[in-house]
Amino acid sequence: MMHCTMDDVLALAAGEGSAWARQHVAGCPACRAELEALYQRVAQLKALPVRRPARDRWPAVRNAVVAERRRRRERWGVSGLAAAAVLAGLLVFRPFWTKPVDAAELARVKEQSATLEQQLQRYDPNGRVTSGRSAALAAALEDRIAVIDGELAQLGPSQAQARPADLVTLWQRRVELMEQLVSVHVTRAAYVGL
Amino acid sequence: MTISLAVPDILVARAQSGDLEALEALYRAFETPVYNLALRVLRAPEDAEDVLQETFLEVVRSIKQYRGEGHLWGWIRQIATSKALMRIRHDRVRETEELHEESAVGAGNVGGAGEMRGTEGMSPGAVPAQIDLERAFERLSETSRAVVWLHDVEGYTHEEIAEQMGKTVSFSKSQLARAHVRLRRMLDEGVAQ
Repeated sequence: MMHCTMDDVLALAAGEGSAWARQHVAGCPACRAELEALYQRVAQLKALPVRRPARDRWPAVRNAVVAERRRRRERWGVSGLAAAAVLAGLLVFRPFWTKPVDAAELARVKEQSATLEQQLQRYDPNGRVTSGRSAALAAALEDRIAVIDGELAQLGPSQAQARPADLVTLWQRRVELMEQLVSVHVTRAAYVGL
Repeated sequence: MTISLAVPDILVARAQSGDLEALEALYRAFETPVYNLALRVLRAPEDAEDVLQETFLEVVRSIKQYRGEGHLWGWIRQIATSKALMRIRHDRVRETEELHEESAVGAGNVGGAGEMRGTEGMSPGAVPAQIDLERAFERLSETSRAVVWLHDVEGYTHEEIAEQMGKTVSFSKSQLARAHVRLRRMLDEGVAQ
C-alpha cells in the first residue's frame, strides 16, 4: 500500500494536498497519525521557550551609531567649509548684490563657527570617555549641525541666488548648535534644551 | 511568541528623526524576538548576539525608509532573517556540518522526503512527551533549522523563504520535508535524548 510522503503531509497541512493525498489520508490511519504528529511538532516548536540575550548589545550599537554620526558630521563639515569658501569668494567679487551689513554679519558668524570648531578639536571629544546621556546629547546636536552643513553644502553651485540674509541665518543656527555641543563636551552635563 | 510587539507611532517617528532614546526603546522592544529568531536558526548564542547587533545597526541606518506599511516587527524581522541567513551563507565551517547531516538523512532515502511512500506498517511518530523536540531541532543543519523556523513558527511562505535564501521554492519545500522527516526520526528513536 502506498502511503503519503512528507511532502504530501506538509501539503495537506498547508491545505494544498492533492486529491489523491486527501482521499488516501481519509482512509489511512497511519497517514492521519503522521499528519497529526506534524501538527503537534509545529505546535511544540511554536511553544518553545523564548530565549533572551545574555548580554546587552545596545551600548555597542549606540557607540557605532554615534561614531557614524560623528564621521558624517566631519564629512559634512568639510563640505560646509568648502561651501563657505565659495560663498566668501562670491561676497568679495559680487559686493553689488550683497548688503554690506549682511556680508559683515556673515563673516562674523562664520568666524565664530570656526572658533568653536577649533575649540572642540582642542578638547578632542573622540579621545574622551563620556556618559551615555552626554553622548546622546552630542549625537543629537551633531545631527542637527550636519543637517545645516548639508543645507550649506547644497547651496554650493546656486549660492549666487541665495540671499545673504538666509545664509547668515543658517550660519547663526550653526553657531548656536556648536556652542551647545562645546558646552555638552566641556561641561558634560550642560542642559541644552533637548 | 507571547511578547507584545506593538510600539506607538510616536516612538517610531522619534526614532526616524534620529532620537537615540527612541531608538534604544525600539531595541528594548525587539531585542528578544530578534535574538530568539537568530538563536533558533544559528544555535550559537554568540552568533545570535552578533546578528542582534547587526540587525539594529541596520534598523538605525534604515529606519527612515520604514513607511509604516505593515507591522514594524515584520520589517525588523525581515532584516534579522536576512542577517542570520547571510551568516549561514558566509560561514564555511558550518557547511561541513550540513554535509554531514545531509548524508545521514539521505542514507537509503535519495528523495529525502520520499521514504514513507511504499513502506508497510510505518510507525508514524506520535510525539512522545519525554522526547525533547528542542534538542532534536537543534540537531538539524542551520539551513534546515532556518527553513523550519521561518515556515512553521514565523509563518513565512516558501516563496518568501526562497527569496530570502536566494534559492528556489522547491528547495525550500524539500528542505522543510527533509527536516520534518529527520525530526520525526529523531523523536521516534529518541536520538535527541
